[in-house]
Amino acid sequence: MTTSPTLAEVEEVVPSSAPPTSGRRILTAVTRDKGALACLVFLAIVVLMAVAAPLITKLSGWGPYQFDSAAINSDLGGVPHGSLGGISGSHWFGVEPQNGRDLFARIVYGARVSITISLSATLLTGILGVVLGMLAGFYRGWVDQVISRLMDFLMAFPALIFMIAILSSLPSGNRPVLLVVVISAFGWPYLARVIRGQTMTLANREFVEAARASGAKDSQVVFREILPNLRGSIVVMTTLAIPGYIGTEAGLSFLGVGVSPPTASWGQMISSSVSWYSVDPMFFAIPGLFLFLTVLSLTVLGDKIRTLIDQGEAA
Amino acid sequence: MLVGLVASAALALTACGGNSSGAKGESAGPGAKAAQGGTLQVLANAAFSHLDPARGFDGGVNNFYRLIYRTLTTQGAAPGADGTKIVPDLATDTGKPSDGGKTWTFTLKDGLFFETGAPITSADVKWGVSRAWDPEIGIGSPYAKQLIAAPASYQGPYKSGDLPTIVTPDAKTIVFHLKKPYADFGSVVAQNTFTPVPKGQGAGNSLDSKPIASGPYKVSENKPGASLKVVRNDKWDKKTDDVRTANPDAFQWTFGLDPATIDERMIAGQGTDADAIAGTIQAASVARIQTPQLKERTMSGLGGCTTYMGLNSTKKPLDNVKVRQAINLAVNKQTVRDAVGGSTLAEIATSIQPPTIAGRVDYDPYPSPDHKGDVDGARKLLTEAGFANGFTMTLDTRAQPKMQAMAVAIQQALEPLKITVKINTIDTATYYEVIGTTSQQHDAAITGWCPDWPSGATFLPPLFDGRNITPKGNSNLAQLNDPGVNAKIDEIAKLTDVKAANAAYGELDKQIMALAPVVPLLYEKVLMLVGSNIGGAYLHDGFSGGIDLVSVGLKDSSK
Repeated sequence: MTTSPTLAEVEEVVPSSAPPTSGRRILTAVTRDKGALACLVFLAIVVLMAVAAPLITKLSGWGPYQFDSAAINSDLGGVPHGSLGGISGSHWFGVEPQNGRDLFARIVYGARVSITISLSATLLTGILGVVLGMLAGFYRGWVDQVISRLMDFLMAFPALIFMIAILSSLPSGNRPVLLVVVISAFGWPYLARVIRGQTMTLANREFVEAARASGAKDSQVVFREILPNLRGSIVVMTTLAIPGYIGTEAGLSFLGVGVSPPTASWGQMISSSVSWYSVDPMFFAIPGLFLFLTVLSLTVLGDKIRTLIDQGEAA
Repeated sequence: MLVGLVASAALALTACGGNSSGAKGESAGPGAKAAQGGTLQVLANAAFSHLDPARGFDGGVNNFYRLIYRTLTTQGAAPGADGTKIVPDLATDTGKPSDGGKTWTFTLKDGLFFETGAPITSADVKWGVSRAWDPEIGIGSPYAKQLIAAPASYQGPYKSGDLPTIVTPDAKTIVFHLKKPYADFGSVVAQNTFTPVPKGQGAGNSLDSKPIASGPYKVSENKPGASLKVVRNDKWDKKTDDVRTANPDAFQWTFGLDPATIDERMIAGQGTDADAIAGTIQAASVARIQTPQLKERTMSGLGGCTTYMGLNSTKKPLDNVKVRQAINLAVNKQTVRDAVGGSTLAEIATSIQPPTIAGRVDYDPYPSPDHKGDVDGARKLLTEAGFANGFTMTLDTRAQPKMQAMAVAIQQALEPLKITVKINTIDTATYYEVIGTTSQQHDAAITGWCPDWPSGATFLPPLFDGRNITPKGNSNLAQLNDPGVNAKIDEIAKLTDVKAANAAYGELDKQIMALAPVVPLLYEKVLMLVGSNIGGAYLHDGFSGGIDLVSVGLKDSSK
């Protein structure tokens, strides 16, 4: 789930010695659970939408930025023609008020933004959290002092307020990259704390001492002995972090400091739908539903995986 | 000749509103006769910029100032063109020119008093006007400074003392000496800067917190940013004032309300909200006010401003007139209008001057079917100019949903021409400062302009006189410096007949649009919902379409 060398090492070192937590066992268990399976299917659809967005919109006939003046009523402030926010054969999810942009296309492209930003942020926080957490836990001393104080500082900080301040003062450069950096900067301590604690415990275990005694270098101890044992925690923490980052991205876009228009984003769609809730509730309902289901699916799935890993470790 | 202050345009789009469908008959609705008495509520999002008359300068405060301040002359109090006619206020007439229009004499009426009970003398008027030269205070209407002769080093009465070019031979007479003849000076003295201020008072921020009233109301309670209450000024004598009806006993403003909340409250109209007025409703509320009951409470008219996109003619390839013309042809004004809320909230603009301006000619230099943009015609022009493969340009826009929606609509309309529009969002607070700084502005910017009084003189010269391009506070966004246009502006300025001058500005509009320095986008409208107990309301052309506050009142003040 996190860094590829980690997984490669894991496969190599523990080929079949840890069957209880193997990916296959988790996958089988998830597919047997109806709820978790539904979540997995929904997430697969969202990811597919994000990956194949240009193809899908070619199929539906409307691009995410294309205006359709014919679909809205200019005399009524730009409210979509027809019931349910203009849902029709050509606009599957209806249209956006005031400009007639196709909601389906914008949802599909919005999925791209949500998924890319949250996955990139997860990857970045994963790397930062694991590396810094392990450094602090393994070397202790002043390294631990510096990293731990930095983590305390970042965790005590009013992150949301600071993110809004940073993002609104920075010039509009590459917004998605800025979002990833800002979200990650405040996100990594949560993972790093857990990793640090577990590293400390693991470093005192007999197998680590045995490795040391047989002449293993620091890097060998870290990568071959400690990291494989952190795998479960890393998978669970990151899976549960993704929905958080999706929510943060949507929240920042909602507050007007996320991706800049005309880029489609779910949070931004929800934000612009607020004033239309009584006239065109579908404009709010559709992006809201997608955001809700995505976050819910990831949370349920993350929980399920955690249970399975815990069971595996107990077994 | 006249440099419009950036502030006037800055506030144009926020506090604007102008032409009127006016009172709808005498029987029912907001046009019905208002009774005396009661407290009229005003629900507002943003508080007034300033209460000091030398500082505030936009459609919203100009309207409010008439409640508490009087000027030498003022605009009429009636719907339509009568509202923009200049009538005497403190003065007995609209001024007597002499010396070929270079010297103007006004005589004050009898029985004029400040709220303190002190009589209003010509020395107080002079004190008020000379405050306009103070670098900190005189940030409002620029016309006094531009027209009245003054020593170059003069910095207002608090720093430099007496201004010798305004003479007060006696307590009732005031004489202004101008830099050069100005035929329409009678309109200029209706500007806020010609409000009397008791001699020796009003230094610093004192008037912003506690104004000294000369009009029918005085400020009784002022909580900056939260609320403002004005009550009757018993020193004001109705017999000296032919303009103000002053119906309610008090006006109560509530500021800082969310626009959506205001709309909900106005639609519900419960309790004291029946006695309330508010600003233009949001686009999302338009569909909700279509019932007959709510339509009866609706008022609509033109705001008197023009929203346009300036094309910076110093940047490549916009320095090519054919490219600017192509953009003018290609912009789909229908989608731009839908972006601000559709046909009920804006009319499509074709000329620079809005319809409320005297002498304005209705014409469309860059026509397209239904104003949806003529992409083929534009492509032809671009090919002739050598830009068949398009180019990239940056469009400055304010960080405000409406402005961003307009920018996206323009971006979309230019896409078929392979013109890539990059939208540069600038913070609302610094937007006008940035685009008014020639070194910082980009290729294009969306902004608006409202006339200071409905004449081309306050519209075309400030925006298109090439000699007014300044490194900072520049309002000639196109940086157009065309000898033909400059010569024509000088020629019109020499005309002594105001009517002939206005007609000439109508022709100048065409001459400028042939060069396509701007894309006129919209004439935005005001669409207001007023409480069911509101009477005597009409939209005033001179105050960017706001409800004329000196005439509005409650139908039944006992409620």
